[in-house]
Amino acid sequence: MRVTSTRYRTLLLALLCAPVTACDDASVPAPLTQDPDAGLKVYHHSMDESPASLDPVQAANIYANHILENTLDTLYAYKYLARPYELKTNLADGWPEISEDRLTYTIRIKRGVRFQDDACFPQGRGREVTAADFVYSLKRNFDPKNRPQGAWFWQGRIVGLDEWKDAGSDHAKEVPGLLALDRYTIQVRLTRPYPQLLDTFAQGYSGVIPREAVERYGREFGVHPVGSGPFKLVSYDSARAVLDRNPHYRQEPVDLAYEGYDPATQRYSGVERIAGRSPPFVDRVIFDFASDDASRWNSLTKGDEIQYAAVPPEKLDEILASRSPPRLKPEYAERYQLIVGLEAGFVFEVFNFSDPRYGYHPDPVQAGRNKALRCAIMKAFDWPARNESWYGGLARVFPGVIVPVTAEFDPDTPVDTITRDVPGARRLLAENGWNAGNLPEFVYGNSAGVKQRMMFEQLRAWLIDIGYPTEKVINKNYATFGDLSRAWKQNELPLISKGWGLDFPDAENTLQLFYGPNGSPGSNDANYRNPEFDRLYEEASVMLPGPERTAIYRRMNEILLQDCVGMTGLSRTRTYLWHKNVVGLPDREITGGFWIKFVDVLPKGESARPADLGQEI
Amino acid sequence: MDLLRFALRKLLAGLPLILGVTLLSFTLMVYFGPDKTYQLLGKNPTPEQIAEIRHELGYDRPFVTRYVEYLRQLVTLDFGNSDSTGEEVNAVLARTIPVSLALELPGFILGNLLAIGLALTAGYFRGGWPDKLIMGLAVIGMSISFLIVIFAFQIWFCTSYGLDWFPVRGWKAENLAEYLRHIAVPTLATMFVALGYSTRFYRAVIVEELNRDHVRTARAYGTPPARLFYRNILKNCAIPIITRIMFTIPSIVIGGALLIETTFGIPGVGKVAYEAIVSGDQPVLKAVVGLTALLFVVTLLITDILYRAVDPRVSIR
Amino acid sequence: MNAVIADALADPTPRSLWSAAVRKLARDRAGLIGLAVVLAYLVAALGVWLGLWATEWAEITGSKWAPVSAEHWFGTNIIGQDIFQRGIYSTATAFEVGLVVAVLAAALGGVLGALAGFFVGSWIDELILWAMGVLDAMPFYLLVAAVAFALADNPWSMHVAMIATFWTTTSRLVRGEVIKLRGMEFVEAARAIGVPPTVTIFRHILPNTTHILLVQMTLAFVDAIKAEVILSFLGLGVKGGMSWGLMISESTLEFLGGHFNNLIAASCLMFGLVYAFNMFADALQDALDPKQVSA
Repeated sequence: MRVTSTRYRTLLLALLCAPVTACDDASVPAPLTQDPDAGLKVYHHSMDESPASLDPVQAANIYANHILENTLDTLYAYKYLARPYELKTNLADGWPEISEDRLTYTIRIKRGVRFQDDACFPQGRGREVTAADFVYSLKRNFDPKNRPQGAWFWQGRIVGLDEWKDAGSDHAKEVPGLLALDRYTIQVRLTRPYPQLLDTFAQGYSGVIPREAVERYGREFGVHPVGSGPFKLVSYDSARAVLDRNPHYRQEPVDLAYEGYDPATQRYSGVERIAGRSPPFVDRVIFDFASDDASRWNSLTKGDEIQYAAVPPEKLDEILASRSPPRLKPEYAERYQLIVGLEAGFVFEVFNFSDPRYGYHPDPVQAGRNKALRCAIMKAFDWPARNESWYGGLARVFPGVIVPVTAEFDPDTPVDTITRDVPGARRLLAENGWNAGNLPEFVYGNSAGVKQRMMFEQLRAWLIDIGYPTEKVINKNYATFGDLSRAWKQNELPLISKGWGLDFPDAENTLQLFYGPNGSPGSNDANYRNPEFDRLYEEASVMLPGPERTAIYRRMNEILLQDCVGMTGLSRTRTYLWHKNVVGLPDREITGGFWIKFVDVLPKGESARPADLGQEI
Repeated sequence: MDLLRFALRKLLAGLPLILGVTLLSFTLMVYFGPDKTYQLLGKNPTPEQIAEIRHELGYDRPFVTRYVEYLRQLVTLDFGNSDSTGEEVNAVLARTIPVSLALELPGFILGNLLAIGLALTAGYFRGGWPDKLIMGLAVIGMSISFLIVIFAFQIWFCTSYGLDWFPVRGWKAENLAEYLRHIAVPTLATMFVALGYSTRFYRAVIVEELNRDHVRTARAYGTPPARLFYRNILKNCAIPIITRIMFTIPSIVIGGALLIETTFGIPGVGKVAYEAIVSGDQPVLKAVVGLTALLFVVTLLITDILYRAVDPRVSIR
Repeated sequence: MNAVIADALADPTPRSLWSAAVRKLARDRAGLIGLAVVLAYLVAALGVWLGLWATEWAEITGSKWAPVSAEHWFGTNIIGQDIFQRGIYSTATAFEVGLVVAVLAAALGGVLGALAGFFVGSWIDELILWAMGVLDAMPFYLLVAAVAFALADNPWSMHVAMIATFWTTTSRLVRGEVIKLRGMEFVEAARAIGVPPTVTIFRHILPNTTHILLVQMTLAFVDAIKAEVILSFLGLGVKGGMSWGLMISESTLEFLGGHFNNLIAASCLMFGLVYAFNMFADALQDALDPKQVSA
């Protein structure tokens, strides 16, 4: 009996100690089974979100494109190192023949390119990529069953494509404007000139996939994409994706000059090491998806996990010795390389012009008062504070919607629309008869998320400053981003707060956000309608790049600012750190991910940075 | 044979429950739930595209049709494909449920054993200082929010502001060391939070048992404590203890530990379910809620059978 | 008239139980301290409701992450709001959530439990039992999330969800108690002299379950405050105002920069109230539990 009692006590003791013992075990790194990455050259990337689907017709964001640009081939792609961004050929064999009227494009594709080996092919061996595959892949964007998201790039622009869809999206039927003339020749016929057409053929949406894979995997094709890119997807869930080298990827030695290499600013990355060699250079790429800044940061700095990550704004002061020029503190420079660059996109908050309380109004007097109200709210907005709170003070605030990374950006645009002026705002309100009693409710919609909520609180405080009563500034929470998006598109909210990433480096991509016919549910959620603006847009949309077109773009930007469309805009600065033994120059803008096939990884402890360089970038 | 008929009858009695749960969850989560349409739209959609997607998602079908379809899915255990990734829902569950189990079982088992141990100690020394100490700590434990425990433990164990021993987030179970490293802090947090409640509950059960006449008699006759606990107390406490443990199981298996998985970034079924809610991924949601209800009924059944095994006095009604 | 007779017939919970309970409670020092602390919090909440303090909780009164100072007792948050004012303001939110949920959940649970117990075995009982079973079979946070989403941005969605899940426990206990009570003389007598069932339930039976309702209310109050924190963190909780849960979720923006003021302020304020309330609830339970009274 005594024995049992002792046993009971021992059990109790064991239980009390159990967690402690577990900790001890865990602190000893003793792998009990084989590491799956052993012996392989692995590059371990990280991103702040996971792509929802990897079906190319749903590749609406950079997250999906990061993976698809490396698993599939697009006809064209962006050069690795040239800035501003420039197109280059990829699967296409040279530039297209373009007819005199700029309506017919004849594109040849490379011969002998093979799809990755996959169970969807006979004997599991990938077959040759043909022009018909491109035609099939592009047509999938017009088949509602695939829930495509990229059709707007080609809608109404390719002869017969919309009719093909209306007739039931039957792949057996031909589209007159989208033909495979022979095994290696594609012909595209347009309804009107489309200067950005080749840019759209660099998007994941137009990535070339084999019909066999779609037929075999059905709905699961979205987790099992097959293509002819440098890597093959081997596993994918919401936490990570693993890509292995495609051993049959075509041999194309890197020509650094062609890729736009600028030794003065890019030599520090060590990319000279890949000159003349054929990518891919690593056996495996692992993408970690972690929306949480802290976990990405820990994973990067603990040394054994991810090799690349965006720096959270809160950490900027800790790692940077100087902000301009950006320079790392010595303890970080010893282990990491750094790049600081503006995003190809912006965040902005614009009014919904179909809301009669803030936007258009049939009564011209009231319309004028509404405009004064919009202008006053713009004056209340404190861009420097927003920049400091959320972007580490490093973001770039600019007037209008032509983002700084595009060639059309005008650095001399007046900044009065982005300058806080509380007395001016109060004066404007008073002059137009606005007071605490008659100011309309200001409903700010956001999706659940603490950052979004704090941004609301910040805006509310600024509105209180210009005379809004606290209870008139209301936060409306939406369960999902989709529900918020629905509220915008159904005109339920007076303010649209959005971010826009450029699909291609052309200001047209952001100016179309205010083109009348794109109104709700289209991309013009502001429902801005201005005949003069629309006329200019249509005029510019068929023009080739040049000073003439740039002048029109800038005029359109001015019109928007004069109408007080809203608080716009801010381009975030992206700051990335990566381990010194990684050879590469990261960039996640535009389509994103096109640089990853050029990544090489040196043995641990070695540095890609040329030894003769100092700490400066 | 008797048992089989008993089980079948119980299952049949569980049918209204399943119908109720599915109807409620369907109405709330599916019919009034988040709208997936606008997440599947391109950047510049047209009204026709919106209609097409709603059609693809089946939102344009009548309520009854969709509910009956749901019941059919539940019977055939085929929930179709996720609306987000296109992955088969069953594949999603097969991938995530084991993770949730591996994450939660150690904490669940250790936590309950520890709680029973503490409760026995407190009960045995009823009114004495060990009792007061344990119960005092239990109230403190009960008063701290789970969320605060998680954050405090994360800061303390996983960041450079504290000990910095463990990863803050993520999940790896490729080998035992990695597995232990990743479950250590979530397990500690779960145990810490559950301990207060469990200990109080078990102590109450044990004290009630201690007050019974036969136990008092046995005690008076000098039965040694260990035997007293085993023979007279634990056995009679079995029913409430089993009940408590059994009814935690369905939520662990299917519901997962939503909070733990979200805050520690662990790809278990709780996180998937939560993401399905906030992204309106109805096929996944339907599977999670429907299976939980099924499992709940099965648990009721097994509990009843277990009661019989523990206590033959429970009759097969 | 009839009711008076029934009243006079018998009351199974003698006045002495209540006076004994009060006496017992008065001797419980921990319980009294708990009560005092809860009252102090209540005063803080009343001040907020009356607009006496924490009026600048929504305004930006300092710089980003200002340290603790005479001006900002707990420092400021990421956009420069005063954390102390926000913490105090949240006390009012906590009481509002706790009281609304506790009172309504107890009321709903009491009424439905009494109905089920009084008509035990009938279809009413079956229906109520079924409803309880259905609600208990749903994972709590999934149900709450579903209700919150179904009610869209309604500020009461969180309350509705919690009441919908909290009433079942009370209901089961009351049902059990009523089944016991309905066999007692005074109920039989009431029935014999033709008192309608509703009158019997509301005038005679429910008052005799007050001790259960009271204890359940204190438990629900604490549970509601704790659930609010988690729901607000998940983005399903308080809309528009300020709460400890929102402060804690806010603090996740600050960890990486090494700022913990929001977390510490909200945690301590919340722990103080919940711990004090738990002590009080324990004392109350001890005092009101007839088993313990007799033991």
